[in-house]
Amino acid sequence: MDTWGISGPTFLLWYVVALVAVGVLAAAHRKVLFGGSRHTSVAALGPQQVAYLNGGRRLALYSSLAGLRGAGVLGTSPDKTLAQTQRLPAGVTPLDTAVWNAAGHRLRARDLDKDQWVASALDQLQSGLEQSGHAVSPAQVKAARLWVFAPVALVVIGVARLIAGEINHKPTAFLFVLVFAATALALTMRKKNRWATEAAIKDMIKLRGQHSYLNPGQKPSYATYGATGAAMGVALFGAASLYDMDPSFAAEAEVQRQSVLGIGSSGSGSNFTSDNSGSSCSSGSSSCGGGGGCGGGGCGG
Amino acid sequence: MTPVEYGVGIGWRPEIAGYVEHLPGLRFVEVVAESVHDVLPPGLETLLSRGVTVVPHGIRLSLGGAEPVDPARVEHLAAAAALLGAPLVSEHIAFVRAGGVEAGHLLPVPRTRESVDAVVANVKRTQAALDIPLALEPIAALFDWPDDDLDEGAFLTEILNRTDALLLLDVANVYANALNRGTDPLALFSRIPLERIAYCHVAGGSLHDGVYHDTHTAAVPQEVLDLVASLCSLHRPPALMLERDGDYPPAAELTAELDAIAAASGYPAVTR
Repeated sequence: MDTWGISGPTFLLWYVVALVAVGVLAAAHRKVLFGGSRHTSVAALGPQQVAYLNGGRRLALYSSLAGLRGAGVLGTSPDKTLAQTQRLPAGVTPLDTAVWNAAGHRLRARDLDKDQWVASALDQLQSGLEQSGHAVSPAQVKAARLWVFAPVALVVIGVARLIAGEINHKPTAFLFVLVFAATALALTMRKKNRWATEAAIKDMIKLRGQHSYLNPGQKPSYATYGATGAAMGVALFGAASLYDMDPSFAAEAEVQRQSVLGIGSSGSGSNFTSDNSGSSCSSGSSSCGGGGGCGGGGCGG
Repeated sequence: MTPVEYGVGIGWRPEIAGYVEHLPGLRFVEVVAESVHDVLPPGLETLLSRGVTVVPHGIRLSLGGAEPVDPARVEHLAAAAALLGAPLVSEHIAFVRAGGVEAGHLLPVPRTRESVDAVVANVKRTQAALDIPLALEPIAALFDWPDDDLDEGAFLTEILNRTDALLLLDVANVYANALNRGTDPLALFSRIPLERIAYCHVAGGSLHDGVYHDTHTAAVPQEVLDLVASLCSLHRPPALMLERDGDYPPAAELTAELDAIAAASGYPAVTR
């Protein structure tokens, strides 16, 4: 007798149809939700906006911290709270102003987003990017996530059928494989946070290529690139850039080194590093330095 | 390279690649040859696609060593030049290893007849593997070997004449050597074939315990810029470049240094 009055092949057929339909419809819906506009470029955006698209509010904050630190107006106190070290320069963003003011209240970096002014600046930055079509809204992310219930329902039905089939002494190997596939689909849909539209992500990958010199693997000179370079480095390559630029500040500010980036890894897989290439001064790689001068009579080269 | 005037350039280093990439008038850079591998870093690719000439500058051949140059290192230098489409390569008249021991530094060669023979032999071995000219760079040295039987000018001229190599003159080295020995830096210019200069290094250094070290980590001093101007009044080299190897300053300071070299040499500014 068939389990639940449905023959095995019929059940498997409809299960496969349902699985494929869920996958296709969810993908199509995601494309509509997250596609973004091809007419909006990220090239004109500032570092903090790029940082938001790449790593959300946290990375936008880190980008601001890097810029302010690069400008020399922010430091840390022994109790790991932020501190103002100089007056704010002209032409900074509302988020910079908010972070710098929060530093005046001796906040820890990890508590910055609890500051009302900072939170409001982040809200403003986020909504601006959502309106311009660069960023996806939390409502869109939520809508896409709702799809996860479909494969979960398929898993529940499949498991129930598996149990019933086992009780009825029916073969269940094919169904087992399909339930596994439904589980994999559910896990795929349980996607991590995302902030940028697909169009913005494509643009950002291009932008990262144009700013490859800020890749921490190249040991960029942040003194040369200035505050904007520091902020853009964090925006495109993650918090690792802040550690590369100023490890003691980053550690004291409790910056989380590992940030999940919307455009993939932080670029540590660069095929070129500054090892062995930075100096024509010494024929070795490390013996130039210390008290200035390169040993025997200067660099000579 | 000699007939073409490249003007003012800069040593390409990954740390300042983004700055160098955006210099609008740049026509040549130098890159440390040992850092060039099969896949070029994107910054260099961009410069090459813009038509900027990239010259590989070797630091480990040990041309001044008593033993023959390592063929693998020569091959790498040639391969780097081919990859970059370079019109010439450069290396130091110095030794960096002896008896298999790496010194980790460029060390001065005694200015003896035997040394000239050894350097000439190594230069010729290197030239045999290259299909482009080789420029030789004398180094700065804090001391002179006690058995020197040639002065710097004669030593250099002899090597250049016997090898037909070009000269990479480091103006900051000339300044450092003269300052540390209490001699006149201009005197060397009349003792060497200035028309053989392929290009010049210009760098800054610092004084420690009364000795000037050509560190490449400080701003170019006015005295070195004056020396550049004097050299150019005698014979202007086809190219001069800022050589900076650490403690990189803000972009505006690098720009000011490049402009100062341009002003001293009479070449147009590359920064605008």
